[in-house]
Amino acid sequence: MRERFLIGFDPFVLPFMLGMAFVLIYCIIGLIRVILQLPKADRRKLAASLFVPVNALRNIRDMFLDCLIHVKLWKRNPKLGYMHSSIAFGWFMLIVLGHVETFIYVPGKAGLFYYPIFFRYFMQMENYSLRGSFFFVAMDLFLLIVLSGILLAMFKRIRKRFFGMRRTTRLSLTDRVGLYSLWAIFPLRWIAEGFTAGIAGGSFMTIPINMLLKNFMSNPENITVAWWMYSVALGTFMFALPFSRYMHIPAEILLIPMKNAGLKVYHPRKGFALAQIYTCPSCGVCIDACPMSASRQNLKDTTVYLVRQVKRNNARRMNAMTDKCLMCGKCQEVCQINLQSYDIRMRIRERAAYNVGLKYDYLDSYKPVPGKGKVLYYAGCMSSLTPVTGRSVRKLLNAAGVSWTQMDEGGGICCGRPLILAGRRREAADMIARNTEIIEGSGASVLLVSCAICYRVFKEEYQLKGVKVMHYTEYFNGLLEEGKLRLKRGDLKYAYHDPCDLGRGCGIYDEPREALFRVGALAPAKQEKAMSVCCGGSVGSLTLSDGDRAAITQASVVNMLHSGPDRIVTACPLCLKTYSRYSPVKVVDFAEALCDGLEK
Amino acid sequence: MIDFGYSLSKSNALKIENLDDSRFKALHKLEPDAYKCIGCGSCTASCSAGVFTELSLRKTLLSLQRGEGKGYIDQLQSCMLCGKCMLVCPRGINTRHLILSICKIYSVEQ
Amino acid sequence: MAKDNVVVIGGGPCGIEVSRNLRDMGYTPILLEQQSELGGHLRQWDRLFPEGVDARKVLKELTSDLRGVKWFTDATIDSIKKSRKGYTVNVDSGMTFESKAVILTTGFKLFPAEKKEEYGYNIYERVITNADLEEYFRTRKDSRIQDPKTIGFVHCVGSRDEKACNRQCSKVCCATAVKQASEIKELFPEATVYCFYMDLRMFGRSYEDMYLNAQKKYGVRFIRGRVSEVSEDIDGKLFVKAEDTLLGKPMKMKMDLLVLMTGIIPGESTAQYSEMLGIERGEDGFFAPKDTILEPCRTKDAGLFIAGTCTGPKTLPETLSEARATAIQVHNFLSK
Repeated sequence: MRERFLIGFDPFVLPFMLGMAFVLIYCIIGLIRVILQLPKADRRKLAASLFVPVNALRNIRDMFLDCLIHVKLWKRNPKLGYMHSSIAFGWFMLIVLGHVETFIYVPGKAGLFYYPIFFRYFMQMENYSLRGSFFFVAMDLFLLIVLSGILLAMFKRIRKRFFGMRRTTRLSLTDRVGLYSLWAIFPLRWIAEGFTAGIAGGSFMTIPINMLLKNFMSNPENITVAWWMYSVALGTFMFALPFSRYMHIPAEILLIPMKNAGLKVYHPRKGFALAQIYTCPSCGVCIDACPMSASRQNLKDTTVYLVRQVKRNNARRMNAMTDKCLMCGKCQEVCQINLQSYDIRMRIRERAAYNVGLKYDYLDSYKPVPGKGKVLYYAGCMSSLTPVTGRSVRKLLNAAGVSWTQMDEGGGICCGRPLILAGRRREAADMIARNTEIIEGSGASVLLVSCAICYRVFKEEYQLKGVKVMHYTEYFNGLLEEGKLRLKRGDLKYAYHDPCDLGRGCGIYDEPREALFRVGALAPAKQEKAMSVCCGGSVGSLTLSDGDRAAITQASVVNMLHSGPDRIVTACPLCLKTYSRYSPVKVVDFAEALCDGLEK
Repeated sequence: MIDFGYSLSKSNALKIENLDDSRFKALHKLEPDAYKCIGCGSCTASCSAGVFTELSLRKTLLSLQRGEGKGYIDQLQSCMLCGKCMLVCPRGINTRHLILSICKIYSVEQ
Repeated sequence: MAKDNVVVIGGGPCGIEVSRNLRDMGYTPILLEQQSELGGHLRQWDRLFPEGVDARKVLKELTSDLRGVKWFTDATIDSIKKSRKGYTVNVDSGMTFESKAVILTTGFKLFPAEKKEEYGYNIYERVITNADLEEYFRTRKDSRIQDPKTIGFVHCVGSRDEKACNRQCSKVCCATAVKQASEIKELFPEATVYCFYMDLRMFGRSYEDMYLNAQKKYGVRFIRGRVSEVSEDIDGKLFVKAEDTLLGKPMKMKMDLLVLMTGIIPGESTAQYSEMLGIERGEDGFFAPKDTILEPCRTKDAGLFIAGTCTGPKTLPETLSEARATAIQVHNFLSK
């Protein structure tokens, strides 16, 4: 191969170069902003993640697996995985091989950004060689791979059900510009390289195009037009990139070291959060996952759209959407880039000015029932509305011969999580302090809770010295395993619902099932464990109406009835109350289900 | 008309035409269900903070309707936002949001 | 007049009264009842408000003369097919009836009190329903009622309640509560009886007098406030939490017995017949007639009639009036 022109430059490369320059400057500024917005301690952590060799290797491995191959997406949905990795990896290889070609044939031009991209325009084939054939075949092969991905992407816009997605993101204007220009790039490259295939050489993709309309294709004026179009498509994509979802391409490279460094979200729009916001590819898997998608009018408030509003710094929409959210955590579970939407929402809520001047000086007047005995049972606010919970827990504790006392017999202080969920962490501190005082002062060694919400806050926010916090599912399962509690197996089928706060929130999935299996058969829901569907009763949402919640609950009930159970079992009194309104099948509390197996 | 002197002492009765319910109307804009309350008292009865204080959501809402509410708004500061009232309300009102909206409109000082 | 068959589905007071009236007009009513006896819910009551008339007497009176009425008990409908000639009704026992007109008097169901779990029915020993109490008045046998000193009546259980998915008022439970409060005071004169109400719907003739009597003669105490939760203490006594809204103070009261006034909701079969015959239902689940004021017993199909509590909560006299009115409507339809 040798160069065709004296000067390796043509005006048509300008759109691409200008676009490239714009993107680079934007990314560098963005990078500096993000790093400056991080707290000092986090900056040190990030440096450690980047420069310590073993961490650096891990980051590179993750970048390869996530950004190029999209391993997480393959596991979730192979069709989508292929579509994305073919485009990402294929394009990456085209760029890499283009640079290798330039290094080999024209080392002098290796520094120019545009030369490897427009290699086939500037070069001329002299003779056949094995090395040359390798490059021709490889380049055309990767071009084919990318084109297959683009074809799938176009198909997805018409038939998203083929990809297993019920709903995808409604794109903004800049997203569309980016999308269509991205689609245009590779067919235009194919055509452009086809035009010059007679001069520069090619392989199975580019040569046939060249042969089709030989005369038309060999006209130099037409050749220039074709390459202009290719460059303009590239340039348009580059200019649209920072304002569209395609910003995720450079942003993910920054996000991976930050994630591996274990940084935390302190501000909803700065630092680590900003990196996450820009890495959101607007893929829309969170829309189907969100329980609010049960009602069409709530689709616009799902996480992908919240991220868009955070980007635009639209405070009104940000607050409205955040206040509506059930905080169930499912979007975070399915997110391909593990966007910490739960933490971002919490930071938004904590900054919202609610003008709620809550005061708890009356808490000092609260005189709790003195606690003796090793197990202190905290029933929680909701349990007074589901008396079957408390009664079943007491029955089981007595059957196992445990010495216990109930902390909030006549009504106690709320655990504090609903207040924290409303963003009032400071006010909740008063309640947490008082409860801690009572619990530590009681002399108990185990704090037993029968509510998933209480359990999560005791685990995450409280620091109880010398007291082990146990949810009654793990506690009773422990008693069963130790043989201190014996249950008889019946013939009922139980569908266990993983409460959001217990499952995704605290990672307890197996203990309740093991315990239930001792009293009956398990009839699993269609989506369960980390993918369980929120019951809709969460106090996480501040503004959802009764009607909206009804739709969410009914959709969740349908999920639970998938295997035809005799009972739906819940491990949280709020789930119990919410499901019993709409379930055609009897809803029982976990402890109540275990009591089924107690000898009469 | 002869003035017998009865108007010298202030009447105890609320004059409905003098009521200032502008804030109540603002509350309705934030939480439309505010109009639905029938005053059954379930919220007050189940209130977690009501065990220790005089917090009564029913009273607060009713007095806001009548244009007076200062004393009751202060009581609202004891609310733990636990959500029991929401679970028992027979009219399906989102009482937690109602409380937050009341505080927003009446700008309870921190 | 030809001895036309008319199928009446549901052998409660409404169905019986429709059949008797149609028989008097010369038709052959075929009365089909799912349970083993005729009478519907009337069999479960002791005395009827407002005068305290004996329910058994009323039932006996209604069923005393059913000559000419072909009635079948333990009869479950398999299918009803409509043709141009009329309706073909298939019963599970194998019988088939042809009729130009079908009347649905399928009645109601009482709200299952265990659904309002915060009241503790079937969880706490001393919580019973209005139906349980009527049964006690009839038989004087219920282990849960042991010389109670403080008795509470909880109004609106499962009615006027979004959380129970029933927005409608069940109409008759207020009068029933006042009646039962007075009656239980007669049985336990030393007891104090409380009624926890949101409103007192004393709409009928003599109902206000019944209320006045309850207050003056029996000393029943009425507290305006909806019960929010019930709990139990060690001795099995109940703690009832309600707000006295008139006084403006929350109350926590110890009770020996709590009676839940469960409301009237659509019967089990209402949804099935609605699907089978294409009868519209209201948002509350009861059958929706062609016109609620002018034609409350007609449906879209000229030969299909609905009457009684399957179209909404009613008192017994209203049900019987509707039954007679429907009989005339059927006669007019068949005479054309």
